[in-house]
Amino acid sequence: MQYSILLLFLILTALSALVFTFVFISSKKVGISGQGLSNPLQKRFWFLLILFVVLGIFASVTIPRSPYFLFADEVPARVVHVAARQFAFLLSDKAIDPENPEGKDSIEFLANELVEFRVTSLDVNHGFAIYNPSNRLIAQTQAMPGYVNRLRWKFKEPGKYTILCLEFCGMAHQVMRSSFTVK
Amino acid sequence: MESIKLRKITSLWILIVLVLFIVNIVLGILMRLNQGEIIHQSPITFYANMTTHGLTQIGIWFVAGMAAVNYLLQRYVKTSYSANVVAMVLTVIGILMLWSSTYIGKFHAGWTFLYPLPLRIMWAKWATPMFFGSILVMGVGWLTWSVSMMTQLLKKYPLTRALAWQHFKKNPSTQTPPFILITMITLIGIITCLLGAVLLLAMYSAEYFSNGTFVNDALLMKNLTFFFGHTIANEMLYLGLAVIYELFPEVGGRPKWKTTWYVALAWNCTLVFILTAFFHHLYMDFVQPVGFQIVGQIASYMASLPAAGVTVFSVLVAVYRTPIKWSLTNLLFFIGVAGWVIGGLGAVIDVTITNNFVLHNTLWVPAHFHTYNALGNVLFSLAFFHWFSIQFTGGIHKEKFTKLILTLLLIGGIGFLLAFYIGGAESIPRRYSNYPAEFPMAAPLAAGAALFATIYLIAILIFFFNISKRCLNVLFSPS
Amino acid sequence: MFKRIILSFIAGSFFYGTAAFGQVNPADWKEEANIYEKVYDVSITSNKGINLTFSQLYNEKPVLLALIFTRCSGICNPFLLQLKENLQFKSDTGGFTVLVLSFDPRDTREDMILLSERLGLKNNKQWFFATTGDIEKMNQSVGFNPVWDSARSQYDHDAFLVGINKEGYITKKLLGLRDKHELGLLISSVHDIFSPSYRLPNNNQLFSCFNYNPETGKNAPGLGLLFLALPAIIALLLVLGISYNVRHKQV
Repeated sequence: MQYSILLLFLILTALSALVFTFVFISSKKVGISGQGLSNPLQKRFWFLLILFVVLGIFASVTIPRSPYFLFADEVPARVVHVAARQFAFLLSDKAIDPENPEGKDSIEFLANELVEFRVTSLDVNHGFAIYNPSNRLIAQTQAMPGYVNRLRWKFKEPGKYTILCLEFCGMAHQVMRSSFTVK
Repeated sequence: MESIKLRKITSLWILIVLVLFIVNIVLGILMRLNQGEIIHQSPITFYANMTTHGLTQIGIWFVAGMAAVNYLLQRYVKTSYSANVVAMVLTVIGILMLWSSTYIGKFHAGWTFLYPLPLRIMWAKWATPMFFGSILVMGVGWLTWSVSMMTQLLKKYPLTRALAWQHFKKNPSTQTPPFILITMITLIGIITCLLGAVLLLAMYSAEYFSNGTFVNDALLMKNLTFFFGHTIANEMLYLGLAVIYELFPEVGGRPKWKTTWYVALAWNCTLVFILTAFFHHLYMDFVQPVGFQIVGQIASYMASLPAAGVTVFSVLVAVYRTPIKWSLTNLLFFIGVAGWVIGGLGAVIDVTITNNFVLHNTLWVPAHFHTYNALGNVLFSLAFFHWFSIQFTGGIHKEKFTKLILTLLLIGGIGFLLAFYIGGAESIPRRYSNYPAEFPMAAPLAAGAALFATIYLIAILIFFFNISKRCLNVLFSPS
Repeated sequence: MFKRIILSFIAGSFFYGTAAFGQVNPADWKEEANIYEKVYDVSITSNKGINLTFSQLYNEKPVLLALIFTRCSGICNPFLLQLKENLQFKSDTGGFTVLVLSFDPRDTREDMILLSERLGLKNNKQWFFATTGDIEKMNQSVGFNPVWDSARSQYDHDAFLVGINKEGYITKKLLGLRDKHELGLLISSVHDIFSPSYRLPNNNQLFSCFNYNPETGKNAPGLGLLFLALPAIIALLLVLGISYNVRHKQV
């Protein structure tokens, strides 16, 4: 997914760069005889309209696929409670008591079963980002104190998944991590 | 019409901004070197650098835009010199307070200081109030400045005319210059987000001094934080645009641009979109109502319409097959607009919720905002700086290093940014002092980025030495 | 004026105040236990004397399970009364069954009939009063731990409501006396309506942005949202004020 996004971006960038270069060269070439527009702010309405339509289509295609609606009409096979705190994640099948927080050492899922993560934080804001076995970010939500975010996902590929914190949470943010296995 | 005092304070602003910018680039390079494992700093130092780099950068480019707009505004209305001075004094004090909190007090909660991190003290106890104090001091200075400018504007232009509403009708009897329109819209936005900052600080201090009896709501605080943070970062770009509308035609020897009905409409719409676009910072907080998330995506798209649809297109049309006197000033403007478009593309990709799901808080985020800052907004301000510095040199000025500066800026900038974009595609997290073993490409990319950033720095240094002499001349010329 | 008040307040508090730090209150997580676990399929005896298993009940319609005992001198009565009152205003009344189950082995069928009469729910088809001989396993499966206090001859326990969907999974729990918004969330959960997020119980927070309104399934703006709009409102007033002032001074 990420590399197709990058590709799209690079193509669009190259196009824009070409347009700008072309326009610049056209100005250089025209010499002093050219006329140019007296007010360039005039009559560009159609351009706005096209942009509006393109972005409208883009929005209507992508919004229904937002993560808030993922697997909403299914009952999850597994529920994992996640409590993030400086600087570790606690994962457990059981609810985690904030007074005496304890997590399980290892968590395993079956491939293709629906897993629901109920993510919250015991102190500051944290990120809960899941990286697949080839270390590509596949899903994420935030861990916010006082709230539970429910992230539902089906892991297709077996292997070891890494969880990293993606919201800056202090001096050891970069080593805050956990993992689970999909069989 | 412009007073000598204004001329002097503007050159002082330019010098302050450029010196701080150079220091700030060095901080950025240090961070990338540390991530690239070329140097080894403690995570605390790294995050203190990061906090300083972020807030200083926002601060200086905001005041650079304000100083430029203030200077040009003098063509239309009389502006208050003392408000300008107050803003400068408070900005400098604010920056000093910030640096003392991060470097002496080791405060390192990031410039977005997401609640409740600043209250979880992992640094000197006084550093948290000092950090908030620095924001308060700068905020008060900037609020004074913007309110004063707006008051002067409204003295000459009634509100509806300042907002160019008469252009909605056919054949308006009076003209509102685009510069006035954009300045007005931007000032309203700036005042709104600064008031947001005041509210945010009030909530922080209420909790800080309540002995634990008052606890804020994390969701509300996050909304407020980005309401302030996102909006101020966006408005400073619009300050640069106001300058473009005023100077781009002039420097190229073309007639002045005139407001038309859809230019007026587009910028008026911006006023609304800009204040709701910040919701895109909370996409991954599923607690935010879904309706707001969708509003966030649509408003963020829409916010790009007046920008892309009007400004960029107008600049292109203004140049296409048109004889233009090219100089460093309008070349910087032109390249800046291109950089801004490209950064905007990266942004539109990221504000799409489905993409944000895999890009949020990866290096893609610094990638896109560095694009429209380092190769966009900064260039707008540099263009103004250059234009300003040659106003008082007497005869016609021929810049010696135009090609060299631009080449270095582009090579350095593109290389530096590409490392960020590839990092984003590689899912490398942002705000990591050191990269975990999962990302073998991260360290080499960071080291490469540091190299390219150094090239960018060289360009800025050449630029600085070129214009600082002229600015010092203005500053110390007998009045 | 308002701005000045805030400013002086902050300035004052920053430079003259004494420091103290607010701790984030840990929210109660007991409600999070047992979610999506299968509830124990207990045998129950209804007021009408019918013996059936719990699964026969929830397979027909989702169940809100209230665990009480009739000799309770504490929370059970207010809890049931509040539940009854809150449910009266729900448009969705046919979609689920309320099972009031005694966890006290001393309770008999007669006790439960009396209770239903006292609540005026004897002939209500939605409400189901029952006893069971197997309460230990039931309590365990929903994570309920009443403690016997022999001095007072009472159970020490909290009000406890569990949502169970048609497949017999525990979808949500509510501990203590809770408001009807939260009851609404529980009802949507037994119908397997997904809400991507919810707040943890914590009464310390004044300004929350949104309060979920289960009647409409939407988030209703809370006090916090006003706070979000506040800067824009003040800025607007400021602009209008300045504009008015400068025009009038000039004329």
